[in-house]
Amino acid sequence: MSAHAASPAADRALLAEETRRYHHFITLALWLAVITGVEIVAIFLPLAPWVLLLGLGVLSVVKFFAVVLWFMHLIYDARLLLWLFVAGLALACATFTALVALFSFDRVDTLWFG
Amino acid sequence: MAHAAHHAPVADKTELPPERSDIGLLRPDRTTGLLDWLTTVDHKKIGILYGAFAMLFFLLGGVEALAIRTQLAAPENAFISARTYNQMFTMHGTTMIFLGVMPLSAAFFNFLVPLQIGARDVAFPRLNAFSLWTFVFGALALNASWVFEVGHLAGWFRDFAWYQSLTYTDFAPANGWFSYAPLSGTFGQADAALHAPRFTGVGTDFWIIGIQILGVASLAASFNFIVTILNMRAPGMTMMRLPVFTWMTLVTAFLIIFAFPAITVALIQLMFDRTFGANFFNPTNGGQPILWQHLFWIFGHPEVYILVLPAMGIVSEILPTFSKKPLFGYPIIVFSGAVIGFLGFAVWSHHMFTTGLGPIPTAAFSLLTMAIAVPTGVKIFNWIGTIWGGRVRFTPPMVLSLGFIWMFMLGGFSGIMHSAAPADAQQQDTYFVVAHFHYVLVGGVLLGLMAGLYFWFPKIFGRMPNATVAYVASGLVIFGFNMAFGPMHYLGLAGQPRRTHTYQAGYGWEDWNLVATIGAFVLGIGVFLAFANLAWTAFRGRRCESDPWDARTLEWSLPSPVPAYNFAQTPVVATRDAWFAHKHGGPKVGALDDGGPAGVHMPSQSWMPLLASAGFLIVGLAVPMMAMGIPHAGWAVVSGLGVLFLGIWLWALEGPGGYQLVTPAATPSPAPAPAEAAR
Amino acid sequence: MSDHAAAAPTSTGIDHKKLIMWLFLASDCMFFGTLISTHLLYRKLYPTGFTDAEGHERFIQNLFDIELTSFSTFILLMSSFLMALAVSAMHKGQVASFRRNVLGVIAFGLVFLGCQVYEFTHFWQKGLTIQNSVFGSTFYVLTGTHGTHVAIGVLWLILLYFYSFTGRLRGHGGALDVEVAGLYWHFVDIVWIIIFTVVYLVEYLGPNGIWGAGLPLS
Repeated sequence: MSAHAASPAADRALLAEETRRYHHFITLALWLAVITGVEIVAIFLPLAPWVLLLGLGVLSVVKFFAVVLWFMHLIYDARLLLWLFVAGLALACATFTALVALFSFDRVDTLWFG
Repeated sequence: MAHAAHHAPVADKTELPPERSDIGLLRPDRTTGLLDWLTTVDHKKIGILYGAFAMLFFLLGGVEALAIRTQLAAPENAFISARTYNQMFTMHGTTMIFLGVMPLSAAFFNFLVPLQIGARDVAFPRLNAFSLWTFVFGALALNASWVFEVGHLAGWFRDFAWYQSLTYTDFAPANGWFSYAPLSGTFGQADAALHAPRFTGVGTDFWIIGIQILGVASLAASFNFIVTILNMRAPGMTMMRLPVFTWMTLVTAFLIIFAFPAITVALIQLMFDRTFGANFFNPTNGGQPILWQHLFWIFGHPEVYILVLPAMGIVSEILPTFSKKPLFGYPIIVFSGAVIGFLGFAVWSHHMFTTGLGPIPTAAFSLLTMAIAVPTGVKIFNWIGTIWGGRVRFTPPMVLSLGFIWMFMLGGFSGIMHSAAPADAQQQDTYFVVAHFHYVLVGGVLLGLMAGLYFWFPKIFGRMPNATVAYVASGLVIFGFNMAFGPMHYLGLAGQPRRTHTYQAGYGWEDWNLVATIGAFVLGIGVFLAFANLAWTAFRGRRCESDPWDARTLEWSLPSPVPAYNFAQTPVVATRDAWFAHKHGGPKVGALDDGGPAGVHMPSQSWMPLLASAGFLIVGLAVPMMAMGIPHAGWAVVSGLGVLFLGIWLWALEGPGGYQLVTPAATPSPAPAPAEAAR
Repeated sequence: MSDHAAAAPTSTGIDHKKLIMWLFLASDCMFFGTLISTHLLYRKLYPTGFTDAEGHERFIQNLFDIELTSFSTFILLMSSFLMALAVSAMHKGQVASFRRNVLGVIAFGLVFLGCQVYEFTHFWQKGLTIQNSVFGSTFYVLTGTHGTHVAIGVLWLILLYFYSFTGRLRGHGGALDVEVAGLYWHFVDIVWIIIFTVVYLVEYLGPNGIWGAGLPLS
């Protein structure tokens, strides 16, 4: 059913593209290993917890999106897929941030209004 | 990807030679009758099955409702026991929502969506069959609780050790359709067998596993429909040319895939509490029962829009047809539907105003809830704008649609009333709330779905329902409904609590309760009459032409009943309401050069979806039996999962198959080149 | 979009299977979001860990073994890398390379599951059960559900590995099947990235953990 690019030139272009991605994957894998190493070392450093928390948050978000964009091809693929996934992700983040907040700030009135 | 056909194209599938699948089993492609219905992957047949099962369960839920109303007809009545009463309102709510309205909406999704977008089937036909049978088996598992309850009342189990050792003997769910923890959960410490003491019997286990299975069915169907709508539109059918019903299907499917995971996880947690002594909602060990409420309503509020949006889509198709005008403000209607769906995720805590969220969250959820009134009001004004100045024909579907607008609006008004938290604090758990959501779900959703049934029945079966009976039934439904639920506004404000088995005389509730009960019976007779009329029509009704309403969307361009391949040639669409434009001097619906004697590709039928779903039936029966302590029930659970995985594995192995079906050659007259249709 | 409609086999140009997998993953964000938030909100509510069978209060920092978890996290990340290579190999039609890489993924996935089994038994021996605390319930159910996802992924990849010998993975359809399985595998990996941070690492912030127990370690 699907029309394949049959010409040798198209095949070569496809192969070149795959090879380019292959190198991206290797670079990315190295970076992921480095970031994980940094995370593990960081938690034992005498830094203020909020600095570490922020740092760990940023690093894991970086790892998360690195895998989503490159390993899962979203950066190469149709934009629609990115929007679909981001929709689910954003909805989940918003809903569950609200949920955790509802449980965490028990005295929200006295906290905010004395 | 479609496999090349192994055989020459045939005019009818019964002419196919026997063919074996990749695992060597005979494909059930040539079957007719019952075997055909059990193995079908045709979205139209699946839609009809969804509709038939949904209507049966609808009647069952109706009988449960009448039992409730009979009990409440007079003060201190003893028609049913308090325990049976609890089971009745629980199963009534659960049945109507999960086994009545959602599958009836799914029936429309199945039958209409591929036809409205100019496709020959859904994206994953076997997955579609799997959704259907999983729904049917989940519904059977849930209702099997009644069999055990009857067995208990009749004393069938008296001699069994497992029965004698039960602490509680309530076999049918009795926690309400929301099954709030801790009532549905556990308390105290778990014993060596990992069981913590519970408040309820195995009815709750039936409910948990039943809802879990039904959730799988809804999720699978929704993934399928989103892919179908996004990916299988005919040439020229851009997103902003989609019929509104298809749009609302898309929004509903997105709501399902984003809302159901929350209840899936909550059910897993509750199940772990009950089965393995976990502490998610067990207050003794620090569990917070209120978490259940949050998770339930994170699902439960979008669920409300899952119920109502399809009905809104149906009405948005019917009003333009019988007003002979295009839908007023199509883009706004579509956008409003999407906004309603989105906001539906941001208002769950308005079901929990009286739990003490604190002023900030209460104010925020109050405001967001009020905000939903805006897109809803926009829709209502657009519907009025559609009728305005139109040449209105008061056919049965139109009468029911107009009833929908009016009744749904009333339900919306009382909804705005309790979006204000202080007012809600007075109305919480009273009959005022019962009145509100029945105006939305019966006056809104049921009337909308009935309108859809009467509108599309001629397309589905090629037969026209009797109009006189339809008018009488519609009148009875609308009148009986108002008589039953109108007084509940008053009863609620006068203080009558919900979910209470009986009440004493002297509170001033007696008269209106009796009126409500009479109204409920009128409503019941009306619904039964309406469904009986449809059932009779399906087999014996008067035959009618393919487009009896002079309707607007592509499904009406097809013969009735619709042939297996849907479109002899893939249509090419040049405008919104393409079929109406085609008939009345607008751009013609074109056709691709496919089909004809070369045939179109049809997916093979399969036993595997039914087999995989049957695994769910076994699991759905065995999990509560395990909770009852029936010996070896745990092995039945394992074997049920085995059947499920076997079904899925064989499904993957058997290959999609497929054959070519000859379609009538393209009619030479009004078929312009596809190029004309571009943009 | 309509410009492609006539030429492409699907209206969006995206294969059905790839689209449905992304929809499933979007939906699964809500699924794991529910589980993770349940864990976090209880962790915030009860910062002191759990009480074991002998009635000793135990602290999570003493329970966790960050070296082991870091190792299994690294293993899962690298399995994701191999999965990307396996998908790439299929796109190039290099079946032998696909087999090598996918065997690596399966092996790493099994190692991860092995680590989890070890971790669960270890924690259980230290007195953390699903019954004795909310922490036990949320921890075991969250990581156990993730582990179930990994196990399903391993089974799926084993099937694909065998299919590569039967000819079922030939051509565009085969590459697509592998890519879709790959998407699932990567998603399981990114869920673990989040779990590793919010369930494990944050317990180590400050001497008494981020949850502000303010109690001495014992």
